[in-house]
Amino acid sequence: MSLILRVALVVASVCVFFFVMKKIRRAQLNIDDSIYWIFFATLILVVSIFPQIAIWASELLDIQSPANFVFLFISFMIVIKLFQVSIDCSVQKHRLNHLVQKLALLNYEQEQINKEKEKEQTLIEK
Amino acid sequence: MKREYGKKLLIIIPAYNEAENIERVVDDLIENYPQYDYLVINDGSKDKTADICERRGYRFIDMPINVGLADGVQTGMMYAHRHGYEYALQFDGDGQHDPKYIEKMLARMEHCDICIGSRFVDEKKPRSLRMLGSNIIGFTIRLTTGKRINDPTSGMRMFSRAAIRVMAKQVDYGPEPDTVAHLIRSGAVVEEVQVEMRERIAGESYLNFSRSIKYMLHMCFSIMFIQWCRPKLKLKRRVNL
Repeated sequence: MSLILRVALVVASVCVFFFVMKKIRRAQLNIDDSIYWIFFATLILVVSIFPQIAIWASELLDIQSPANFVFLFISFMIVIKLFQVSIDCSVQKHRLNHLVQKLALLNYEQEQINKEKEKEQTLIEK
Repeated sequence: MKREYGKKLLIIIPAYNEAENIERVVDDLIENYPQYDYLVINDGSKDKTADICERRGYRFIDMPINVGLADGVQTGMMYAHRHGYEYALQFDGDGQHDPKYIEKMLARMEHCDICIGSRFVDEKKPRSLRMLGSNIIGFTIRLTTGKRINDPTSGMRMFSRAAIRVMAKQVDYGPEPDTVAHLIRSGAVVEEVQVEMRERIAGESYLNFSRSIKYMLHMCFSIMFIQWCRPKLKLKRRVNL
């Protein structure tokens, strides 16, 4: 791993840290969700400070250069997150639809009640 | 909505699949402690919790879907805030908590913002894996706030009006140790009162082994690292403690 790549990775992970902190401060990111990103940035930071890890892993997996391993690793992490987000998204969709259905039913029932009340009112007036 | 004032205590009872316990818990409160108001939050239970509340005429809020403990309790806090309650108590729907300690906790509230019904003020902690987790969370709180909390994971907590306001309005202020730690850092006064807790009589605890580990790691991480980048709040008290 070249020095310039290592420096770039350090800068990138520090940027991730700050960005995540900023979002937590503004309450735009849940604490639950922030854990992944801080974990991610920490791993990148560790690999760029100790490139031996990447060298060892690339030899183990028969990858030509340690830099390639780092890219593979990052894309792997991204795929995991993407999968998680996709699941979350499906769950949210179901929950939203369920809420809309309940709201629609409630609205309908409320209207029925209103209509009955109106009927009673007109009966009384007559 | 018009605010009412002067009401004293609201007992918030979050209930998720507590059909076997809810009647016993709420009936005890109604019969023996009619001076306190209560509110059951049925968090989208899949069992008959809602039916029972309906049939028995309990005061309850029926969440259309399951939102989790944090948002369930927050709903109760919003209710307490809107109706001008002086204090709110987080009280388990499974019968673990004993309402006879409420008075003792209320008496303390004149001197603090959060009162924790603690199992280990006077009594020693038993040595078990769960208590090790509790100790570790307590240690992280002590490390970051300097305050010693003997029973940080106790779910029986009473909140003052200033704390209710924060809990009702802020994002990510679940009723958990990390919120307590953050409130201490924001200047809240926290005290503990010795209580005894009963073993759960029916139903299953949510926290199994792997969930407990996950919970503990999550809490420690949140207390040790995340809290530093959250903005400190100002508790708006009417009377300075």
